[in-house]
Amino acid sequence: MRSILSSIRYLLSDFIGEDDDAPPFLPEGLPDAVVPEVSEGIHLLMDYQGPGYAQLYVDRLQRFVGRRGVDSAMLGEIARLMALRMGYEDPIRIAQLRLAEFERAAGDPRAPSAEVMLLKFRFDELIGALPAAVAQPVLDLLDWMGWTHRPVSIRFSTKSRWGIRRLKIEASLRRWRRFSVRYTKERAWVERWLHMIGRSLDKQPKAAAVIVQSATMIQGYGDGYRQGLADWHALIDGLVKPTFDGVLPLADLGAAITEARAAAMPDPRQIALKRSIAEIRARALAAGANAAAG
Amino acid sequence: MDTSHLSEHAGTAAALFASVFVVATSTMRTMIPLRIFGILSNLVVIGLAIPSRGYLVIVVQSLVLVLNSYRLHQMLQLVRDVKRSVNSDLSMEWLKPFMTERKYIAGEVLFYKDEKAEDMLYIVSGRFRLVESGIELPVGAIVGELGMLSPSKGRTQTLECVEAGMILSVSYSKVEELYVQNPAFGFYFLRLATARLFENIANLEQRLAQQAPPAPISAAANPA
Repeated sequence: MRSILSSIRYLLSDFIGEDDDAPPFLPEGLPDAVVPEVSEGIHLLMDYQGPGYAQLYVDRLQRFVGRRGVDSAMLGEIARLMALRMGYEDPIRIAQLRLAEFERAAGDPRAPSAEVMLLKFRFDELIGALPAAVAQPVLDLLDWMGWTHRPVSIRFSTKSRWGIRRLKIEASLRRWRRFSVRYTKERAWVERWLHMIGRSLDKQPKAAAVIVQSATMIQGYGDGYRQGLADWHALIDGLVKPTFDGVLPLADLGAAITEARAAAMPDPRQIALKRSIAEIRARALAAGANAAAG
Repeated sequence: MDTSHLSEHAGTAAALFASVFVVATSTMRTMIPLRIFGILSNLVVIGLAIPSRGYLVIVVQSLVLVLNSYRLHQMLQLVRDVKRSVNSDLSMEWLKPFMTERKYIAGEVLFYKDEKAEDMLYIVSGRFRLVESGIELPVGAIVGELGMLSPSKGRTQTLECVEAGMILSVSYSKVEELYVQNPAFGFYFLRLATARLFENIANLEQRLAQQAPPAPISAAANPA
């Protein structure tokens, strides 16, 4: 009987969740000092998506365990920041967090009373959380109408039974999160970040810690998230990648990234950041030309 | 003479006859026999529905018959193509009907080194480069065909689009599905993958032999 139920559960796993909810093992050879961060990351991603996603986190982290130039402190930071980025805040996550808060408060009479949370997303962010097969035609239509970046307010309420029911429906969409448009983009971002850390360890080990910390540029949701993402890509495309490619002779990449990050403002046109990157590039190219001439 | 009881018995016998085929269809374990028995069941049910003028049954069964025939044709063609490929140029073109299109622009990265591989890619147009080795892949090249069988499933290099083009992709889960549904396909797929692996080893050995004096490191690759 148990095997029949297990087969039925496997058949419907896309709808009712994965059968096996055992957490993955810690990466092989993980230093003891990093165990708390990695365990926390696994716990977060189990709650966020499930064991398969937590396993992906472990596999990604495994690439840096025992690698030359990666000490426990750096590995801990990679583990912490990667868990935060893999647990990105989409409307599904906000619904999950609100429900968890509500369930915690239900057993605690001293907890603050239920409230309505009104958050601003963009249309593409909202639709992008749906499976690609559903989301892509809608995104194409929004793009055609010029509404892709329009802000849209979403209520996350635990005040009424209907509000809680709605949160549960939204949170249940996590089953399809890995098929979503947003997931594809987040996956590409995490891989690019890890790739840049890897290249830095090979080419400019001193800058690796700064590149690891660059993940903190991207946080939250809505316009703030988009701004951080655009700034990060501007930094990588303008300074980091050209340096690794050997096109830009930047002797101290870490300092250059720190300088450019300090110039970044909450400006969609990125004027200050782009100016700073251009100045750093001009200085580096001039210094390179002088060194070649002299 | 009243013959209604005779036609009633004939109807019961016919329903029993059709049921035998339906039950036999359900006992099939793999896709090709399942489709063949499905087609036979459709034909029997259609044949039995004609005298009683069961038009709805005839229409529904005809539609299922067409679907079963198309799927059987697709499956047989797949086995034939993969078998032919094993015996000729080891190409993977037979996968094309199961692939979906994706367009890329210059500078876009398809995947990064060490990333977990989840699909196989076929280059249709444009220029794509494996950045760590600096090798440019020609149109018609397949990427990631061995990743499905490797234990780590990690990409061994980064693939970047150099000039806008199109790629066909098929997920490993889709290939696994074909493999499980069709043992003949599975067998020939394994032979094909092994043959390609041996071919790669032979190429590497040849390149190693050509590098008699250690060659200087070639121009730096520019990973994304």
